[in-house]
Amino acid sequence: MKKTVDLGVLYSQSGTYAAISQAVLRGAMAGIDEVNASSSSQISFRPILRDPEGRIYRYAPLCADIIANSDARHVIGCVTSSARKEVIPILDRTNAMLWYNLPFEGFETSNRVIYSHACANQHLLPLLSWCFQNFGTTPYLVGSNYIWGWETCRVARMRTDEAGGRVLGERYLPLGDEDIDTLIAEIETLRPAFILNSLVGASSYAFLHAYGELGRRDPHFTAETCPVVSCNLTEAELPQLGQDAEGLVSVGPHFCPSRSHDGRNSSFEIISRQSVLTLAAILMAQGDQPFENFIADHGARFGIDPATHHSTLSVKVAQVRGGVFEVLHHWPDIAPDPYLTRSSRHPNIGHPKLSVVS
Amino acid sequence: MAGTLDIPNLDQARAVIVHPAPDHVAALMRQLNAIGLSVTNAWPDLPASAITADFIFYDTDMGHDAQFPWGPGTAPMPMIALVGTEAPGRIEWAARMGADALLLKPVGSSGAFSALLMARHSFELRRTLTSEIKQLRQRMSARQTVVQAVALLSAQGKSQDAAYDQLRQLAMAWRINVEEAAARIVKNATDKGILRDSH
Repeated sequence: MKKTVDLGVLYSQSGTYAAISQAVLRGAMAGIDEVNASSSSQISFRPILRDPEGRIYRYAPLCADIIANSDARHVIGCVTSSARKEVIPILDRTNAMLWYNLPFEGFETSNRVIYSHACANQHLLPLLSWCFQNFGTTPYLVGSNYIWGWETCRVARMRTDEAGGRVLGERYLPLGDEDIDTLIAEIETLRPAFILNSLVGASSYAFLHAYGELGRRDPHFTAETCPVVSCNLTEAELPQLGQDAEGLVSVGPHFCPSRSHDGRNSSFEIISRQSVLTLAAILMAQGDQPFENFIADHGARFGIDPATHHSTLSVKVAQVRGGVFEVLHHWPDIAPDPYLTRSSRHPNIGHPKLSVVS
Repeated sequence: MAGTLDIPNLDQARAVIVHPAPDHVAALMRQLNAIGLSVTNAWPDLPASAITADFIFYDTDMGHDAQFPWGPGTAPMPMIALVGTEAPGRIEWAARMGADALLLKPVGSSGAFSALLMARHSFELRRTLTSEIKQLRQRMSARQTVVQAVALLSAQGKSQDAAYDQLRQLAMAWRINVEEAAARIVKNATDKGILRDSH
């Protein structure tokens, strides 16, 4: 007889980042089905679903609602860092745990959160190192106007300076804004070496379509000479981009080796599913120990670094070629460094291009 | 100091927490370990080895001057006050010890990283300003020597402006500052007895 365990699921099914959100939701539900169907699992999950509809101020009340009106002690949820920061005070008050399954900028290690996807030393730093090596050190930075965009661009600027390069321009768009003409005009004038795109959702699609258009007008702005690179592009959003996805460069722990259908099998979905399986395994092993103590003592057995609550991950730089991500560079087993304080954990590409230092 | 904060290599940093109940600061220890620092606890007195630590976190509820091997406000590293009771007397003491940043107790799962960066920033700023002030004081106290040197050089028939210009050029040629060049000229003149009459 399986023991039924309530499990909160707090993912938006609509809103500007719906494609990403649906990927992690799909992964979480697949994980729940798998645990429930498994004959070797002694527990079965009862999902307690809430839909914040992509509205930032719905996350904290709905998280509180899950915890107050069910027996859930764990919530799989949140897409943006802003949403995660909204729910952490609720988790602190109620001793509940959040499983956060998307790449983020780092600089946070809450005791109440398990960060399953990559932090900046596992996405941004290796991606920049690859770009500097292959395209030069004069990037253009564009991002959504919140913590993810700001912090990604700040680190990119710092790294560019360290590499002896120069950031040619830096622009932020409000979440959901699709007014990108100024941006495109500026890029056309500045002719950067590559473009780091940290836009999210509709803004990102509008930008990538317009950049595709620019490339058809001026062949300099194509993947061979001036690629658009990103830390948060996966299979999940390829359907929204159509032909304009060709040549885009991304970084992540997994890419689907064959053509994915309807944006399936992204690292968002895979890691979300895996987080449910890991939670099931921990719940079976945990006994009477409080969760955080158990993680401190045994987290490593389940792939969770007890010091940071992050995971060691593969890092792959990949490019969309013929509708499929082709891996161009691969670093196995990069340990997490959420505060970017441990240089030994920063993957780098061999010998950087020589630059004149004055 | 530039506007950017230098984050890398905090993983080689060493912090000492001066607190009577290590259990009460376990959350702080956890945060510092996550950031990558190595941490030791000390109470009541700081061991001599603390002088080489990169950061000190000190309890303001039970703390007192005699715990530290240095005088109030002269710590050779950034100091972060762990504030429990917000009584003015305790805040005053925290400030007098030279707090470069504050962290409120009970410490939760965040705050340590900002405290580290703020403390290091304030500490570096304070150190730079102190050394600049010291240099300026030295230069101010050398004003009389500069006047004497200009007088000596203009005694050779130059205008005061030309004499001052010559002093600056000598300083440049000797690769020292104007005050030091002036001191050298005055000393030289004293040794030769030129200035004897004016004494």
